[in-house]
Parts: sequence; C-alpha cells; structure tokens
Amino acid sequence: MELLNLSIRELNKLFVNKKAKPSELYSEIFDRSASSEAALHAHLSLFEEINLEKAKNSDERFSNSENVGLLDGIPLAIKDNINIKNEKTTCSSKMLSNFISPYNATVISKLDTEQAIYTGKTNLDEFAMGSSTENSAFGLTRNPWNTDYVPGGSSGGSAASVASRSSIAALGSDTGGSIRQPASFCGLVGFKPTYGTVSRYGLVAFASSLDQIGPISKSVDDARIIYSSISGHDSLDSTSINDEQIDLPFDKNATIGIVKELMEDGISEESKKEVDKVIDILKQKEYNIKEVSLPLIKLSISIYYLIAPAECSANLARFDGVRYGLRVDGKTSYEMMENTRAEGFGDEVKRRILLGTYALSAGYYDEYYGKALRARKKMVDEFSSIFKECDYLISPTTPTEAFKAGEKTSNPLEMYMSDLCTIPANLAGLPAISIPTGLSSNNLPLGVQIMSKPLTDNSLLNFSEMLEKELDFNRTPEGWSK
Amino acid sequence: MNLKPTIGIETHIELNTNTKMFCRCKVVDTEEPNISLCPTCIGLPGALPVPNEKAIRYITLLALATGCAITKKGMFHRKNYFYPDLPKNYQISQFDLPVGENGKLEIVIDNEKDYVEIERVHMEEDTGKSSHEGTGRIDSATSTSLDFNRSGVPLVEIVTKPVIQSSKVAVAYIEELRQLAIDLDISEGKLEKGNLRFDANISVAPSKSDELGTKVEIKNMNSLRSLERAIDYEIKRQSSAIENGESIIQETRHWDESKETTTSMRSKEGSADYRYFSDPDLPNMVLSDKFVNQVKESLPSLPHENRNKLVETGLDLSDSNVLSKSEKWILELYFKVYDNTKDSKATFNWITGELQGQMRKLEIKSLPEWFSPNFLSDIIQLIDANKISFTSGKVILEELIQKDTTPDDVAKKLNLYQENDESAISKIVNEVIKNNQDIVERIKNGEDKLVGFMVGQIIKSSGGSINPGIAKEILSKELNL
Repeated sequence: MELLNLSIRELNKLFVNKKAKPSELYSEIFDRSASSEAALHAHLSLFEEINLEKAKNSDERFSNSENVGLLDGIPLAIKDNINIKNEKTTCSSKMLSNFISPYNATVISKLDTEQAIYTGKTNLDEFAMGSSTENSAFGLTRNPWNTDYVPGGSSGGSAASVASRSSIAALGSDTGGSIRQPASFCGLVGFKPTYGTVSRYGLVAFASSLDQIGPISKSVDDARIIYSSISGHDSLDSTSINDEQIDLPFDKNATIGIVKELMEDGISEESKKEVDKVIDILKQKEYNIKEVSLPLIKLSISIYYLIAPAECSANLARFDGVRYGLRVDGKTSYEMMENTRAEGFGDEVKRRILLGTYALSAGYYDEYYGKALRARKKMVDEFSSIFKECDYLISPTTPTEAFKAGEKTSNPLEMYMSDLCTIPANLAGLPAISIPTGLSSNNLPLGVQIMSKPLTDNSLLNFSEMLEKELDFNRTPEGWSK
Repeated sequence: MNLKPTIGIETHIELNTNTKMFCRCKVVDTEEPNISLCPTCIGLPGALPVPNEKAIRYITLLALATGCAITKKGMFHRKNYFYPDLPKNYQISQFDLPVGENGKLEIVIDNEKDYVEIERVHMEEDTGKSSHEGTGRIDSATSTSLDFNRSGVPLVEIVTKPVIQSSKVAVAYIEELRQLAIDLDISEGKLEKGNLRFDANISVAPSKSDELGTKVEIKNMNSLRSLERAIDYEIKRQSSAIENGESIIQETRHWDESKETTTSMRSKEGSADYRYFSDPDLPNMVLSDKFVNQVKESLPSLPHENRNKLVETGLDLSDSNVLSKSEKWILELYFKVYDNTKDSKATFNWITGELQGQMRKLEIKSLPEWFSPNFLSDIIQLIDANKISFTSGKVILEELIQKDTTPDDVAKKLNLYQENDESAISKIVNEVIKNNQDIVERIKNGEDKLVGFMVGQIIKSSGGSINPGIAKEILSKELNL
C-alpha cells in the first residue's frame, strides 16, 4: 500500500484498524528519503536504525491498543536548527559541523511524548539566514517540482522532504518567512504560529524576537495536529505565552481584508492571480471582502534587516570555538576566536553579523536599531487597528514562484525581497499560514498567505482548511524522480 | 597647583541565592571546576534564560535599603563583548532601566556621619573564571583554563556617583556596603571569596575646577587594603603627572599587589563598545507596587539604623559604627546586656574587648549555648558594686565561656567575692599590722613604697577577697598616714 501520500489522520486510522503498521510506513519513508536524497539533498542526516526500533515499538502499541495519539509512529523531519538529544545540530554551518546536542528542544520533548518518529535532520540556509537553502555549508537543496529550482528557505530541506514524501510532515522555523515561503515554493502548507505559543527552547536562535517553530505539511489538518502537539506554555522560555485562543468566525460572517500594499509593484501577476482566485471563492461563499491598507508594510524589509541582524549579531557571538563546535587555533585566545569565526561562518551569516553589529554601535543605535524598533511598534499598531475591521488578511505568500538555483545568490537584496509578504507577520508576532493554490505557467507551485491577529491560530487553521477544500490543490511533485 | 581627586566605585556583590540567575543550576562553593552547568549557563545553542525571582527580590532589597527610586518597568539588556569565560559572549545586564537609581549610603568617618551618593543598583550575571597559565594575562598566556561554575551566578552592581574624595572614604563606603549586604542577608559578603568585588574610577583635577579630570579605571583590587593603597597610589601618580604637565590617558589600569603600583591594561575589552540592547529572550522586568511593598516590609534593621540605636544608648558614633559592623549576635548581645546594665561604655568594652578577645584566644567562633547575656551583665554589675575586682571579672568570664556554670558559682568556687564589710576588713588589716610591725615602723619612717607590700599582704590574708583600693584606704586610716 502507498502510505506516503496519506494524511496523519488517515494513517492513524489505518494503524488503529490494524490495516497498516508504523514500521511499514517507516520503511516506505526511509526508502523514499534514501532515494530522494541524491536528487534533492533535503536531509543532513537520516536516522535509520534507531527509528526502525521506534517504529516497531509503535507497532506493538497499536497491536495492544496502547497507542498514545495521532502522531504515534508518524515519521517527521526536523529542521537542523532544532536540538534532538544525542544527535548533531549543525544549522548547516561549518561552525557546528561536529556539535552533538546534549539536550532536547521543548518541541522535541513534546513530540517524544506523542511517540512521533524523526526521520532525520533537514537542510537549511546557514543558521536559517536565507530564502533558498543555497546558503548551506553542506550543499544546496533542490525543489522536488523541478530540480533546477530552489525549494525556498530557510526551511527548504523540510519542505523538500515533505514534498518528495520523504517524511509525512516536518518542523521548520520561521523568522521572516522561512516556513511559509518554502512551503509555497514546494506546494505545501506552512504555518507560522503566534509568537510565543510554541517554545523556542532548543531552537538555535537567529533573531529571538522573530523566530517561531511551526509545521510544514501536506494539509492544514496535519499542520493543526502538529501545532496542537508542540504548542503550549513552557517554563524554559520566558517569551512563551499562555496559549489562550481567541475564536474568530470562519464562516461567511468573517471579514476578509486584501492587503493593498502586497498586491502592488514587486508582486508578479501570477502571484496576484492566485489571490484573485481565492477572492472569487470567498465571494461565491458570500464572505465580506474589502481592500485594506497597511502603509508601513512597505518598510517591513528595512525594519527586518535592522532588527534581525542586530539580534543575530549577539545570538551568534557564542560560536567562538571555546566550548564546542569548530575551533581554529591561534596564538592567543582572541586570535583563536577570530580565526574560528572567520572560517566557521559563511558569507551571508557574516554579512548579517556585520550589519547587526553596525546597527547597534555607539552613535548609530538611535538612527538604525532604535528607529527600526519604533517603526516595528507602529506597524504592530497598524495591524491592531486593521484587525478591528477584518478577521483575516490575504496576500500572496511570495512575490513570485520559485526561482532558479544560483539566480539570486549574487544579489542579496533581490533575495531579501522574496520575503516581502511574509516578514510583516514576524514583526507583528501574528499567526500566518501559506496554503498551496495552484501551479504557475512553469508548472511550479504558488500559494496564498492568510494572517490573523495573535492567538487566533485555531480559527486561522479552520478558515484555511475551508479554503483548502475549495481549492482542491492536492498534487504531488514528480519532477525530482525523473 | 592645588589638586583634588574624585573617585567613583563600581561594586559587584554575589547574591547568595540557591540557584543561578537564569537557570536552575545550584550556586556552588567549590574548587572543583565545571560541576554545576547546564545548556543555559554555558551558552549552548538554543538555550534560553529564565530569570530568578529571588535574585530580583534581593536586588530590590538593596535598592530600597540605599534609598533608590525603583524602576517599575525595567529591562534586561545584553552587554556585548568577547571573552573566553563569557559563554554567550554577551552578559545579561541592565542598561538605562536599572532596578534602582539615585540613592545614598550613610557612612561614618572620624566620628561623623557622611553620605555617598549612589547612581544605580542593577542586576548582572556573573562570568566564568579564567586561569591564564604562564603570564596570568589573556594576551600572553600559554593556555587558559575555564571554570563555568560561577557563570550565571546573580550579581548586584552598585555604582556610586563620582563623589568620593579619599581612599579613607572609599574604604568606609565598601565596609558599609558589605555590612548592608550581610544584614539584608543577600550575600555572604566575603571579600576573600570574591563575594564582593570593586573597581574604582579615579580622576584628579585642579581644586577650583568644576570639571572632573580624565578618569582612569582601576581593576584587580582584592582587599580593602589594596583598595586603599591603589587609590592613594593612583592619586599620586595622576597628580604628579598633571604637575609635570603630562596629560592623563583614559584607560583601565591593573593594581599590582606585589609591586604596589598600577599598570596599564592593554587588553582589547578595555576599549569595547558594548552595543547594549534589550534582550529579546526576556520580557520587561516589571516590579509591581505590590512586589515592591512586600520587599519593603521585609527590610530588616539596617546598619545605619543600628548605629542610631547604639548612639541612643550613649555610645559615641565611632564605637557605634564598630558595633554595627560586628556579627549579628554581638549586636544582639550588646542590646541585651545594655538593657540590664544601662552602662554603654562598660558593655561595649566587655563585649568588644574581653569577650571577643577571649574567644579569639580560645579559637571559638560562637558562644556556647549555656552562655546567657545575663552572665555578662552580672559581671559588669558585680564589678560596678565592688563585689568583685575587674581581674576577677575576667576570670569569671573565661570560666563561663568554657563551662556550663554561673557567675555566682564561679565567684564562690574561686572565692572571688570581695569583702566589703568595713569592720571585717579592719580586722584583717589590724591582724596584718600586728604581724608586720617592722614594716609598719619603716613606713612610718617614710618608706612609702612599702604601703603596696602591706596591701598585698592584706589581700593575701583575705584570700583575694578584698578590693585593693579599700584595703589601702583602711590601712592608711589605721596607720594614720
């Protein structure tokens, strides 16, 4: 039986009814990930042996009807910036190529209690800095729809893994669109939850005030199952919040805003068309739809590229060769730290550390970082007032379909622009999801993004699921296997 | 040229919480390195800080006790600099919104009250410890060993305004601050263990100038003695430089204990731009009115309040200051004994002189359980009433420290009560006169110094129970001297 295309709920039903076993699913998954690896390089590590054992334990639980929940025996891929105890966490950096985590991220502890299985760690842009998974010290990942193209990033490995059916779903992290953009490029659902609802403990920090872990999956329901398992207050993360969800209507009583600034210049006609397609569906279903304006959205890339690098310049300071990771010797301790950082970090990481260090420097703080903080606060206010009149905001997820590998590597600014639509949700801490809507003329997936106010994650998922049903995208990429 | 020095002091006090500031690792007091560590305090990738509420309570206590205004909505900031024993290469500290600002601390100088103004009181996490083998300096060490047990231990940093004008005041300030921390029970306050560490910013300027001179930071002063000497040295160094027309360089200098000089530290962190920014891993440090009021209510009697109470008993400010810096049980003993004797000076002398002296001699740190404060007041009162001699008082005290008994029992057992009945004394005096007629004769012939011999004989005959003064008085009367 072909289990790989099924949803988590469908798989669970088969296991419960003893029509399939987790170990059968696991061997299908492992065969697939092993065969997709050469074409895609979605993974940095694959855990075969330990998982076979885990899958058999799961078989046992199902046969004794002692299974623990929907994720029991479900193989998930984990982005390689999330710590799994006793496994490597490389962040696709030379700096951490030998780092083995002695502890579990909170999301992993939570998935452990649900008896999920981890297929392996997935490739990413180094320290999650990038939009194409080309900034990996261990080689780029390719888009399963067409291997000439990038899968997006930074969670490109997770997206390529799920899209190629090398895992049932995956965890990614999203600082400026790193879950949603690759999900969109790979024809998947990518969900960035409300900031603070999923613990960041054990996620290697890029920009702490923006980072959030979330699922990449084939369906909204799979995303929901994973989200409900990994969310909740965590005493190990001081920015973790009590997840008290607010209900929004998701039937025709809901008001939908179309973000004007994200339907203008810089957005491809094809991307706009996908939004129009969604508007048509909603009109047919008699939703209230209006165009809304959030002028500050136009500044979001500028704000983001001051705040994220500033935070990263401090967050990545700990990688110095003193306690763990790469060490390149020098004549003095300082020389050792300098040599280690010069050799351990890639260009994009260095670029952002420099940018952030500059933005925080004496004499420049107010003009750059300080101003960015004030603008961010204003943007939050702008969103708050829009959410008084709208329940959901719709926009393209990305300005264009996936681009070709190598196409933007020499032009960082152009690369940064690909996060134009996704960054605002990070700056404002909003839940945001990308769902696949169709294929471009190049036969590459496109998606739309839906945002809502903080702590309305469940409603957002319900609303998206309604749209998902109407859109009936449901396609499997075949490009990679040719 | 008339020059005046100006000094500001930054003090770090290690708080005596059970666990570290941002993780739940135990604070340990051991030479064994790297035994109390976790992902957070060694800065592993992905680890996050969770603040220690008790530490914030302690810092608030100190801020309140120094009369600071409390910042209700404070912040944690990252202070960025690279150093091998700083695991994250930034220190979580506070910048423009510290726990407390604008306070003052009362000190005593030469029997007079003075005040040192406090600029700020804030939280900081401690670093690990580096041992630079070879030269002892990071730039030239052959290897460096790191111990992260101390990494993340909560500190409170107290910064004075540049208002201190001598090493004497600086020392008095540190002594007072140390006592405050001990009385608040927020730190062990042991300098030798590094519980309390201080740096001084020193500048020298013409006396008439309103502006301060170029400031030089002095590090590595590990005792009050080195604080005093380093300040005196640095004032002299800067003054003579200015007098010779040289300019002072703004720098950090290292106090060299063995050479008793300061030398320039040319290490890189000296010129660092710390690039402070609010720590995105931590929410604002909100100190609610309720919290602050609770902390306020828990304030114990502070050193300056103790001093005032002592002055009220009749002690001078200087003695009161000494007592206010004694261990708590000594202060309590003083008040109990004083309540009985109402003699502040005798009580002070007996406690700080005889009692502590004997304890030192016997090498005991605390009084035995049976030792009641009444013992001391009994002794003082017996001497006052001439019932025992001062020397006997010391003998009784020594017995009481070592044996479970009472002053009365000791006095009786050792026959230390003095005879105060004049007729009984006269009887003994006459007996001695009768037995020493030759001596009496010589006294009458002018050999005054033999009076002492006679007094000695009288005391001897009485078995030591006669007060020598009274013996002499009665002898003189009997001999019509």
